[in-house]
Amino acid sequence: MSYFFQLVVSGIVVGSIYALAALGFVLIYKSSKVLNIAHGQIIAAGAFIAYALTGMAGIPIYLSFFLSMVITFFLAMSVERIFLRRLIGEPIISVIMVTIGLMSILDGLIFLTPFGSVNFSFPRFLPRTLISFGGVSISWTQLVGVIVTAVMIGGFSWFFKKSTVGISMRAVSDDQFASMSVGISVPRVFGLAWATAGLSAAAAGVIIGNITGLNFETLQAFGITVFPVVILGGLDSILGAVVAGIIMGIIQQFASGYLDGNWGLNGTAEVLPYIILLIILLFKPHGLFGIHEIERV
Amino acid sequence: MKNRKRMTVAVSLTLIVLFAFTFQAQAGETYKLGLSLAITGPTSDAGDPYSKGVEDYFNYVNDMKLLGDDKIDCTIRDDQYKTDVTKRNFEDFLDMGIVFYLNYSTGSTMALKKDFDEEKMPTIPASFHAGNLEGSTYIFLPIATYSAQAIGLAEYIVKNHKGDTPKVAMYIHPSAFGRGPVSDVEKAVAAGLKMEIVEVVEHGTDLDNTAMLQRLKSKGVQYIISQTIQSPVATMLKDASRLGLIAKTFGEKGKITFLGCHYTGGNDLVALAGPAAENFFWTTSYIVTSEPGPGTDFQLSLAKKYGRDEKTANSHNYINGAMVAQVASECILRAKKKGLKITKESLYEELLAMNGANEFKTVTTVGPVTYSKTDKQGVDTLQLYAVKNGEFKSVGKPFIPEYTGKIK
Repeated sequence: MSYFFQLVVSGIVVGSIYALAALGFVLIYKSSKVLNIAHGQIIAAGAFIAYALTGMAGIPIYLSFFLSMVITFFLAMSVERIFLRRLIGEPIISVIMVTIGLMSILDGLIFLTPFGSVNFSFPRFLPRTLISFGGVSISWTQLVGVIVTAVMIGGFSWFFKKSTVGISMRAVSDDQFASMSVGISVPRVFGLAWATAGLSAAAAGVIIGNITGLNFETLQAFGITVFPVVILGGLDSILGAVVAGIIMGIIQQFASGYLDGNWGLNGTAEVLPYIILLIILLFKPHGLFGIHEIERV
Repeated sequence: MKNRKRMTVAVSLTLIVLFAFTFQAQAGETYKLGLSLAITGPTSDAGDPYSKGVEDYFNYVNDMKLLGDDKIDCTIRDDQYKTDVTKRNFEDFLDMGIVFYLNYSTGSTMALKKDFDEEKMPTIPASFHAGNLEGSTYIFLPIATYSAQAIGLAEYIVKNHKGDTPKVAMYIHPSAFGRGPVSDVEKAVAAGLKMEIVEVVEHGTDLDNTAMLQRLKSKGVQYIISQTIQSPVATMLKDASRLGLIAKTFGEKGKITFLGCHYTGGNDLVALAGPAAENFFWTTSYIVTSEPGPGTDFQLSLAKKYGRDEKTANSHNYINGAMVAQVASECILRAKKKGLKITKESLYEELLAMNGANEFKTVTTVGPVTYSKTDKQGVDTLQLYAVKNGEFKSVGKPFIPEYTGKIK
């Protein structure tokens, strides 16, 4: 039975990190209806900034973690200002195509630094001992990952529901022209959406980097890995990202724990999330928590 | 007066042309080579130091005048691990008139196999996939194949395991590169290698390997042989360390001993996995800088001469690239000594003649480079290493896996 619970706990841990990585997609989509294909590169950039601050500049890891979020916040804001501000009001597909170009540009820029092709590892800053309860164990890195995810998701949920800026971001997502007519600055909202997405991406990058080590290809691949999570949760739902992340995490662990290696099956942990995604989308095309818009003509 | 002036100009021009030709003859010939590899993109953590090794060794040949007045001009191009770009690069190199080609990935080597044969181009890839050699005449692998490496690790398990038949799992990259050695290890088991392959796991982008590790543990797996790149191995080792599954000594009961082929190990694995890399067993044909000797002295001095950082200087993929450049330069040197014109045909013949008394002894590998019409695997010898205090240290003497011959 402890094996079962271990898989559940591992699934929740992995799912939480997926949710955090997926949060960046949701934040941008929620306010601008744009899917940022370059999100994986921003995750990697956040992790490398934290490493540069701690491994090269000698700043303590906790401070580096915080500073990397601040720097990535402004970096993502600058990206929006330079590349995407001019596209306000243009068809969404044009903006998405720009994010594909942005992905190539960020790839190229990262490859100009040593981080593109050299592997690094964060200095160990958490205890190496395990946290065990009832035959189930998790590492401190994983626990910190779950706590950071919970805090950030809770914070953003509050931000969108209660703060004036958060509500104005939701208003812009609903209708840009109506928002402008009531005095909301749409460009400012877009900048802020990208900046907050950068903030969450940096947090995700540092946590993933602590688990896998700092390898650019591995880090940026998470931009794609969490895609089913984003779609399943509903592109514009923070709660959806959390629920879908945990569902995906648990499905992966159960597939790996119970299906792989039996009945000639292998690699089901990679495939099963997509199969479940397809089945759920058949019944709920907007994802589990996505908003179903009805247009009356 | 006018005619005299014209005469002077004509004579001067003739002298200039004659001088230019004489100077060119004295300057020697330039031999063009090409290398296409992933300096950016997937696997660039291996490709980047590899390209620097190739570049530095050819610069060394030119600077030290190892070929006299002749020079090697090797064009290195980034293909970002994309086969279509590799093909385009190869075609450009052909237009440049290359006489020797260096390739990189398993995928592109398999895809361009027929092109190499059609062009009769001697080719050495960075991929050690045994399948590269099937149906190919012009591909030469620098060291023992991934299959030979995995079989070598399996043989070491069988020889050193205490108790019943050892239970082994293979942890592989989901590609031809990863799958290549599986069937050969299975053949070795069928041919009498006494071990049980319990499961073959193709990994993904896993954040947590708990389920996989505990599943293998519940099936009694004591050894995991990895054939992939460092990053997934590092994540697996960290998880195994967290679960207290890593054997402290080889074959420790109730634990798992982790082993891996060439591209799973080296300093990058230690950088990624940290202390969890301790007691990881790894095999390659290269001598690593944590085991100092004439080969590693040469490696470090070469890197220093061309201003490489410490990480590159100590990378086994840096010397991997330099060694391939060494083989190409040696072929040119041997052909020159015989007074042959340096062409792809003469260099191909030199590769085929590299055996017996003509084997090529490098100081950077644990055995000599030997090629013939029936042997396209350069260094047959392997060395087993294990991580001790964050460094790869030799375990036993260099060896040639027995079962690679038995399954042919």
